[in-house]
Amino acid sequence: MTHHEAENTTNDPASAVLERARHFVDDLTLTEVVRWKKDHPGQLAVGYMPIYVPRPMLEGIGCLPVAMFGGGDQVDIIKGDSFYQSYICHIPRSTLELALNGSLDSLDGVLFPSICDVIRNLSGMWQMLFPEKYASYVDLPQNFDPELGGKFYVNDMARILRDLTARGAWKYDADKMRAAIAAENSRRAALKELDTLRVKEPFRVRASEAYLVARAGGLLEAAAHEKLVREFVAAAKQRAPRVYDNVRVLVRGSFCEQPPLGLIKTLEAAGCDIVDDDFQLGLRYIDGDIECGPSDDPMRAIATAFLRRGQATASRYIADEEKGAALVQSVRQVEAEGVIFAAASFCDPALLDQPMLEAALDRAKIPHTSLKFAENTGQFQVIREQAGAFSDAVKLWGSAA
Amino acid sequence: MADREHLTVGIDPGSSAVKVAILRSRAGKDAKLLAQSVQRIRRRKVADVVTAGFEEACAAAGVKPKDFDYVASTGDGDAVGFRTGHFYSMTTHARGALFFDPTARAALDIGGLHARGLKMNEEGRVLGHRMTSQCASGSGQFLENIARYLGVPLDDVGELSKQSQSPEKVSSICAVLAETDVINMVARGISTSDILKGIHMSIGGRLVQLLRAVGAEGNVVITGGLSKDVGMVAAIEQLFAEEKTKKTKKQHAEVVIKTFPDGILAGAVGAALLGAYRYEQLEKKGRAAAVLAAQASV
Repeated sequence: MTHHEAENTTNDPASAVLERARHFVDDLTLTEVVRWKKDHPGQLAVGYMPIYVPRPMLEGIGCLPVAMFGGGDQVDIIKGDSFYQSYICHIPRSTLELALNGSLDSLDGVLFPSICDVIRNLSGMWQMLFPEKYASYVDLPQNFDPELGGKFYVNDMARILRDLTARGAWKYDADKMRAAIAAENSRRAALKELDTLRVKEPFRVRASEAYLVARAGGLLEAAAHEKLVREFVAAAKQRAPRVYDNVRVLVRGSFCEQPPLGLIKTLEAAGCDIVDDDFQLGLRYIDGDIECGPSDDPMRAIATAFLRRGQATASRYIADEEKGAALVQSVRQVEAEGVIFAAASFCDPALLDQPMLEAALDRAKIPHTSLKFAENTGQFQVIREQAGAFSDAVKLWGSAA
Repeated sequence: MADREHLTVGIDPGSSAVKVAILRSRAGKDAKLLAQSVQRIRRRKVADVVTAGFEEACAAAGVKPKDFDYVASTGDGDAVGFRTGHFYSMTTHARGALFFDPTARAALDIGGLHARGLKMNEEGRVLGHRMTSQCASGSGQFLENIARYLGVPLDDVGELSKQSQSPEKVSSICAVLAETDVINMVARGISTSDILKGIHMSIGGRLVQLLRAVGAEGNVVITGGLSKDVGMVAAIEQLFAEEKTKKTKKQHAEVVIKTFPDGILAGAVGAALLGAYRYEQLEKKGRAAAVLAAQASV
């Protein structure tokens, strides 16, 4: 913490809730999960890798969904490196490190959603290294026809429900599943309110703060997370910050391996108001509610929401033009003046999509720049130079440096 | 050309000193430096030094804080809580260099923590840059440490260096090794002048490389705290002169080193001028009033 931050937190109505959020984000040994299991005897905690798994499906059978974002810049990788070549991203190494050093022992199982070959490979390693734990790859549908991809997805979720029930999770109950969906929708609404506040008044909520508050939900049930998010939003509205003449930017590419908090702060210090991002996208993957009436099939409702309102991100195999158009639309919606691509080194999904997205931005005459990071990046001087030059160029000349 | 004059201030908190410059201009053009302040930080809180420097400059210019159209920070912008906006130091030094010499198309910013060579166009837009990385041996802080070891006041370093008859070569690779070199030199009885000149030549060699790497040519303005160090400047000029006499296949562009008494203010001056330019842009977009009103109300 710099001396400026220390001064600013003295009278900040949001400092207490931010501290709580930070506690959840830093809880790499999952002490909160251990506590939850103590309070919920017999119930399971199920981890999942980025980007997206249907969290209400897990909560509906009494499981605690636990987002696994790797070790960030807090873990020394000793064993994890021996499993992956040097040209592989960092998150699987630190995740394995945490698993091998016992930090993830409280998890009863892990889901590996389809995002890239590396995560698929990790699911196989998990099954070999931890045969007593549940581990399953989740093939999210890439065919968006409800009769094909939709049915496939419902069947796959039914398989996971059966597997987890066999390991002690609650038996499927449609009413409980609908309640879990309702709780998820409420949490999603709270996150939307947070996002809206950032867009409207970015001086009240820094992206680095919103990041902590959103990411805390990775260890919390939907209802508890909703409470925390709403508490933060209410506190942020009480703040009396000063408005700065900053550049409004949108950040893309950090949906899986997460950037260190220092990187987000570096972008902010360079004069950028990050008004939209895809950090830890999973919690915001579905755009809006999962619509599920009292007589609707909740599993089909989850599948339909995924098919129809999933984000146009790198894990979805859709036409390039659609992703580019979605990005340009996002820029317009949040009135951003530029885009910063911040992808993890060796993140194939992000880096393969990037040229197409850049082309779409070029066509729309939207300035952009790109940088790469690893979750344990500790030096930000080069990024500071790049972000500072970009911010000034956009602010003064309306184009990239 | 802007219709009206803008009163702006640039505040540049660096690692060793806080620089403040108040200027009147027309959107950054036809600029006049009204007042300035340079305060060493000396273990004080940076934000307190910022306030003191700002008040000192305001008093000298006879203006009040509310008179400013734009308060622009550069360097450690977080220390300037009352800023309107922030500009990155590379951009502000480029613009500041143009204020001192409008014909210059390159600048060499030598600060307390690192040095940066940059090339710019006639607007001050940076076209290319190179900087010393995490190594301290190209920085003012390194020179300060050496001066302290030698018991020489910082202000005397430049003149002493210029008196050198036989500069002693030091490691140009690493500040840690160079500092060890200096301790050995003292033990061997090398004169202070020769040690300082050796240090200047060592740092200067790295700085010349930075300028060559960005393709600097013509007038190059030295900015930052070390622009006042006449020994440093002499070393850089000597190194460029020696290049000409060396028989190499590579033809280097002609470089003329330019220094100015207020070169240390370049970042602050650049920030103030860019603030005026930005304010005019905001006015044209109808947003200037909104930005200032929001600042006042929140």
